[in-house]
Amino acid sequence: MAIPGWVIHAPVLTGASVAAPWLAAVVLSVSRRQARVVGCIAALLSAMASTALVWRAPQGESLYETLMLLFSCLTFGAVVLLPRRDAEAGIIAGILVLLGSTLLAYSTGNLLVLLGAWILSIIPFLWAGRFHSPKWRPMVALLSSSLAIALAIGFIIARTGVSSISHLKGQSPGGVVAFTLLIVAAIFRKGIIPAQAWVADAAESGPLVPTALLLNGHFGALLVVKLIVPLFPETDHLFPVLSYLAIATAVFVAIRALAENSPRRLLAFLALSQSACILSGLESRTAEGITGALVHWVVVAVSTVGLFGILRLLEVRFGENLSASKYLGLAEHSPRLAVSFVILGLALVGLPGTLGFCSLDLLIQGTLTTHPLTGLLLPIATAMNAVSFFRLFSRLFLGKRRTGFTVMADALPRERWILAAIVLFVVLGGLFPNATVIEHSSEVDVVDEAISTFDNLNRNRSTGYVDNNLSMNVRHLHLSATSMDTAKVDHAQDRPTGVHR
Amino acid sequence: MNPFQDILVFVVVVPGVIFGVFALLWLLGWVPSERLMSSITGVTFSACTAGVAVLIWKIGSASNVSVSLGSWFAVGNYHFPLLLMADRLSTPFLALAAVLSGLIGQFSATYLHRESGFLRFFLLLHLFAFGSLLAFAAGSFDLLAAGWEIVGITSVLLIGFFDQRRAPVENGLYVFGIYRACDIGLLVGIFAMHHWAGTASFSGGFPTLTGARAVIVCLLLLLAASGKAAQVPFSGWLPRAMEGPTPSSAVFYGAISIHAGAYLLLRAQPLLAQSRLASILVVLIGATTAVHGTIVGRASADAKTSLAYATLTQVGIIFIEIGLGWRWLAIAHILGNATVRTMQYLRAPSMLHDYHQMHSAVGGEFSPTGAQIEEMLPARVQLWLYRWALDRGHLDTILERWVITPLLQVSAYLSRSERTRTASPTIVRPEDPVPVSVAGPAQRGD
Repeated sequence: MAIPGWVIHAPVLTGASVAAPWLAAVVLSVSRRQARVVGCIAALLSAMASTALVWRAPQGESLYETLMLLFSCLTFGAVVLLPRRDAEAGIIAGILVLLGSTLLAYSTGNLLVLLGAWILSIIPFLWAGRFHSPKWRPMVALLSSSLAIALAIGFIIARTGVSSISHLKGQSPGGVVAFTLLIVAAIFRKGIIPAQAWVADAAESGPLVPTALLLNGHFGALLVVKLIVPLFPETDHLFPVLSYLAIATAVFVAIRALAENSPRRLLAFLALSQSACILSGLESRTAEGITGALVHWVVVAVSTVGLFGILRLLEVRFGENLSASKYLGLAEHSPRLAVSFVILGLALVGLPGTLGFCSLDLLIQGTLTTHPLTGLLLPIATAMNAVSFFRLFSRLFLGKRRTGFTVMADALPRERWILAAIVLFVVLGGLFPNATVIEHSSEVDVVDEAISTFDNLNRNRSTGYVDNNLSMNVRHLHLSATSMDTAKVDHAQDRPTGVHR
Repeated sequence: MNPFQDILVFVVVVPGVIFGVFALLWLLGWVPSERLMSSITGVTFSACTAGVAVLIWKIGSASNVSVSLGSWFAVGNYHFPLLLMADRLSTPFLALAAVLSGLIGQFSATYLHRESGFLRFFLLLHLFAFGSLLAFAAGSFDLLAAGWEIVGITSVLLIGFFDQRRAPVENGLYVFGIYRACDIGLLVGIFAMHHWAGTASFSGGFPTLTGARAVIVCLLLLLAASGKAAQVPFSGWLPRAMEGPTPSSAVFYGAISIHAGAYLLLRAQPLLAQSRLASILVVLIGATTAVHGTIVGRASADAKTSLAYATLTQVGIIFIEIGLGWRWLAIAHILGNATVRTMQYLRAPSMLHDYHQMHSAVGGEFSPTGAQIEEMLPARVQLWLYRWALDRGHLDTILERWVITPLLQVSAYLSRSERTRTASPTIVRPEDPVPVSVAGPAQRGD
């Protein structure tokens, strides 16, 4: 049977991917039975729709579609991985609301819709109940970020009367005020210094797996990619501030993690430190840095959801008072959870043979090119994170076998298959990065946006300095486009670029 | 690809494939028997050894074998070349890695029989062999770094092999910290090569760097090499690494891993030759380590630690040879030291038993070992030196007091200050003493 043509239209597919989880959330709020099954089906439908979007997107323009597919798959894996204790209708409905709003934020090209998705994504975490963190900082940070982006978007629309992102490209709508508000929103949402502490608080006192999904929506990085880079080329002299703050966050949080004994907080610090690198890579404005940042986005998302999931499984089996202050010897009981944990953790900190190595290699290359001195801090932060992770692994899984309870199950079949899939993804992705992620996600979509940013920059500056480094990077980016996608180059050559002049 | 290129790829990749396949099957629930695992190990490393033998014959009679497998990943002008190369420098190391890994596999099949971590050991042995073969056969520093890191993580996981005891696990963490800190030198050095020379590949000629740039890159590589080779001031990790099973100590710290730093410097020697400062530093570090190793080794109470310091002394001398540009002497020295130390490590567990047997057999009368050179020193100096050696040159103490403890204190301070602010926004009143300021002196008092 042939598929009707309208079914494969992008708006229909996007609508399906967003609506499926929301509808499922509504269903769960009415009937609380079979919550895990409903959640899996909804996430799977979103993943299928996202796959179709990736498939039909032009080559090299599938970044957001790929991110949608990634987040749908992550949600599917998280719902399967959830221990039975957590697989209740309320939590799964919250996860599905988060999935729908994240996909909407990825897919939209409209400022107001982006704002709506941004606010919707935090609604479950503000609601009283199991999603709600009793600590004040997560709520303040999430609300502050929403307020900042609402003000920024309101300011932009009031000044220009336009809400379409594509129409505002390169115009610096709202000037420095809107730019600053967007940066503030990114800082709060991403947990960048000085707003870094809420992430660990949320992980410590909130629901672990949903919090991992909230963090891995990477709305802060999305804001940078979707709005700040393409819309504000004139404020480029302010943009490195975000990079410096991101690098400072990576180092600060890495130091902070060294003496942390709460596994939840420690994992949150590692995730935050590693994901802060994403912003510095995006800001580096080199093909290596941007590509590395995008691939690292995927690595951080996949590995931290796996790590948080494993930690939650351990808590359910061995008690919620796990601590990294003593050796618990859990590997004796759960060797497969231990191996999955160590592989995902080492992928997060860039072990060769995993995708994390490729992403960090590119990211550090790009950042060091743009910021040779501050960029040096990134490998140092990564080294400290590696030590902290290994300490956490040692304390949780190694040491004398814990006694006092009967035999505990290692990974159950459903957990084992999901963990094997995640481990395979990071390992095969690391062995064949060109075939898996780099070709699809880092292709010239965002890089192209960066090119247009630089083009605009060059066009707008009839005189004045053009940094040698910058122009070299433009050449790099152009070469990147040349090698990756001929059709894209044709398109690029139609534009009046600084390089061609 | 010609057959020799196929062989080179085969030699490097096979241990990695064995590791990957068996690890995945285990993750999915299958556990291979000891017999199967040891047989596969034997076959794998025999094949690798035969492959390396063919490569040696080829290189001896004709030219180098190099194979380009394209780019691992490429973005813009930057690409990570998958370039393997067997030349007169790398082939002896490839042979060393293949032969000794096979021997260790055979030895361990008996030594670790019915040990709960039998499968883990063999999987890690394959991963280690893959990492070391990759590092030695790499045609670029990028690929060398990948193999280098794999060797490092395998080494750490094997130090903590007896994970029921606390000491091996803690020592593994210590070694991991040193490795990661020193590997920053390698990563940044490679970046500097890319940035200044446009490449980090050495298969078609060494990256061209001169002046200060050459010095900077050499110093960064020297940092990485010193960490891996346990040179002063990083020597403290080597005795800690002896907590692992004896076969892994033999192959890592007697033979391959400990000499990887020397290999890195040998690879970078064209660059080293352009930097007198770096060459002098290599010689100085090597000489200091040799003296340190021989003094501390004399005060070591157990066999493996004595052997570790004996190895360290020789590696220090090898560094001197490299710094002076005596390349071939250094290679011969490495080969000799690696094989002898492997044998000594493997012999260590049964040596005391045999010694006691021999002692009884000759009626309790062994001839004394002879005068020691330190007896020529004044008694007070001997005593001071003995104390110094017992604390292993205070290197661990210095590192702990000046690097680790301050870092942890900063971390603890940040933690306390964060938690006091976390409790509630209304909890700290203006008239309350600020908890953070109290923490400072208390810590200094500690």
